[in-house]
Amino acid sequence: VSATISQQALRELVTEWIRQGKCVAGPRQVKPGCVLYAPLESSAQLALAGFIRPANSVKEFIFPKHEELYRYRITGNGIELTEVQQPAGEQVLIAARPCDAASMPILDHVFNWDYKDELYNLRRQLTTVITLTCTAHDDACFCTSVGLGPAAERGSDAMLLELGDGEYEVRCLTEKGKALLEGKLRASERVASVSAGPGKRFDAEQVRAFVKEHFDSPFWPAQTLACLGCGACAYTCPTCHCFDIVDEGNIESGVRARDWDSCQFSMFTLHASGHNPRPNQPSRQRQRIDHKFHVYPEKFGEILCTGCGNCTRNCPVGMGVLGVVAALGSSTPESVK
Amino acid sequence: MSESPEFEPKIVAFVCNWCTYMGADLAGTTRLDYPPNVRIIRLPCTGRIDFNLIIKAFEIGADSVLVSGCHPGDCHYTSGNYHARRRWILFRELLQTLGFDLERIGFTWISAAEGHKWQQTVKEITEKTRKLGPYKDLYQISGSGAPPLPLPIWGGESNTVPLPGWGGEGVGALRETCRRLLAEGSVKVVIGYGRRGPVFVTRPEDVEQLVWDNHCLANLTVYLKRKEIRALGRPAIVVKGCDERALVVLEKESQIDRKEVHVIGMACRGMGEAKCETCDVHVPRFADEVIGDADKHPAEAGERWKSLEVLLALPPAGRMAYWAREFERCVKCYACRQVCPMCYCERCLVEKNRPTEIEPSATAKGNFAWHILRAFHLASRCVGCDECTRACPAGIDLRLLNLSLAKAAEEHFAYRAGMDPKAEPLIGAYSLQDKENFIR
Repeated sequence: VSATISQQALRELVTEWIRQGKCVAGPRQVKPGCVLYAPLESSAQLALAGFIRPANSVKEFIFPKHEELYRYRITGNGIELTEVQQPAGEQVLIAARPCDAASMPILDHVFNWDYKDELYNLRRQLTTVITLTCTAHDDACFCTSVGLGPAAERGSDAMLLELGDGEYEVRCLTEKGKALLEGKLRASERVASVSAGPGKRFDAEQVRAFVKEHFDSPFWPAQTLACLGCGACAYTCPTCHCFDIVDEGNIESGVRARDWDSCQFSMFTLHASGHNPRPNQPSRQRQRIDHKFHVYPEKFGEILCTGCGNCTRNCPVGMGVLGVVAALGSSTPESVK
Repeated sequence: MSESPEFEPKIVAFVCNWCTYMGADLAGTTRLDYPPNVRIIRLPCTGRIDFNLIIKAFEIGADSVLVSGCHPGDCHYTSGNYHARRRWILFRELLQTLGFDLERIGFTWISAAEGHKWQQTVKEITEKTRKLGPYKDLYQISGSGAPPLPLPIWGGESNTVPLPGWGGEGVGALRETCRRLLAEGSVKVVIGYGRRGPVFVTRPEDVEQLVWDNHCLANLTVYLKRKEIRALGRPAIVVKGCDERALVVLEKESQIDRKEVHVIGMACRGMGEAKCETCDVHVPRFADEVIGDADKHPAEAGERWKSLEVLLALPPAGRMAYWAREFERCVKCYACRQVCPMCYCERCLVEKNRPTEIEPSATAKGNFAWHILRAFHLASRCVGCDECTRACPAGIDLRLLNLSLAKAAEEHFAYRAGMDPKAEPLIGAYSLQDKENFIR
């Protein structure tokens, strides 16, 4: 026995959640050829088909691109600090891709490791993730290479699986998911078939072994020449989570905030002395692969990548994780020693 | 609308130390009466007024801004005011496209002897601003007259399907040429297109990596300035007609030595992008060798600005609402900057943080500041390759800002960046004839 919901009923639910004051976000066509996860003002804006996946990721709903930490005011000899209002509203991420949902439990490690990040955890608690499984993939998708797949349940509170004819099979996976969907579903005998997803494109273990052993390999300069050093890969990645702390204000008062940062920027590791331990783009690309496939797995036991392929799709010069790793596969160990 | 009795306009005046400031001083010593609504900021020269200052004044609550300097021929530094004038002509167009209310920005020439003109100017701008009311539309998403979104501005659909007329012609000749160049040793690396993206071919036997099809979108000239590529030795570069214009500008700005670059021009039938619809440089003009031919008829000059029409038809608040919506999606990944052949600064202004010039955050303020900076630093330099727009992961039509400045350059100065190697660059030069009907 399974449970199903029609697309129309789903949209009605979205309308209801918006009416209740929840922040409902999902894939939305912001202009022809560009679908992004964005807050939905109405259920009609929810895009459910006709694209591979949004060009951004859901991380901005639990880890915003700009987040105020506190405000300050200089008063005579002292400084007055004011707390910012903590996130309080419930969020629903609807029709997230499994490769987005999976990023959250992966990110939980780093945001709760030596320091428990209050704001991140609060947002995480307030968020319910309803994924929509994938029925199509493109050349940039590689979820199956990092242990996930078109219907991977990791990080999802509930999962929608397309049955065709405007019906979805619904699997409630957590209490949160149940709370939102229970009573809204029809009992049914229908069970969705799951697509196989992209074929395995590389062996993550081999990548880990390679980057571990080839820190100073000529592979990096040779294969990363095209990288222009923008942050399109990191900023659209569901798992990249680096941030910078900035103070913005005037001579009297201001705000301390955290902003996304990217290891691909030349300023990322620049020391005050002027020394830069990662002085060029090859060393920054190496860092990105190294962190995702070697450092994070050794520290937290998980690959810091969900295979969504955003880094490749959004890369102006067609690189991304897949571009680099594919080059690795085609290089014989001899030629990259 | 907001002529409430309490409203006192806040006006920021950026004035030149040598003339207008003295003029204001004279007004004071002459005991001339004028409204106290103007806050004066003294600068050494109008040529020194950074356009960001005007924006910042609005951000911190100015209702109007006044910029005032020396009369033509009167500059303490000979030509600072002429340079300023040329910049304002362009900058006003950008502000207009962005939806700033130009009624709130005044430009005047006031000499040290013109205390009365200062008095008059301040009176007028104060009264005008009082009538306009407080400036509330800045960076507002839902300003009065906000457009139904999204605006149908974008012309090109992403081209994942092969375009008609692309049969792979030229790729054989391209590979042969590159094989020859590499074999004879006259170039050490070919910067070209591969299947996934740009490739750097250093050995004759690797020329099979090169492709030529309708996915050859990137403007490869961006690589000529990069250290890692320069280290490879004398390059040959594959360019389309539009990319080639960047070479002209780079050479003009002393960034490349044209003799040290072997240019392989590819005749192009259009890549299906918005820019291609109005392209008039299908065949590269200055390349060392050109492969293939293209008989596409150039579009009419007026067609180039067509995609701006929808936007410019909106009222200022509507334009601002449009951009506020667009920039809201900006994550500041700086892909627009990194792909731009003209953004070759070693350290971008936005990376200067002691003190911070441009707020680094991806907020309305920080994003507007960044996009104004990017667009205006490219004024009369942008060659319209649209790489910024293609690279933007948030789908922001940055090309519209570039277009508005290109339009201004062409209409006011009959100048198109990268078209004529003999033409003097627009910014950095001036003419006594530059028109100034907006300066009082």
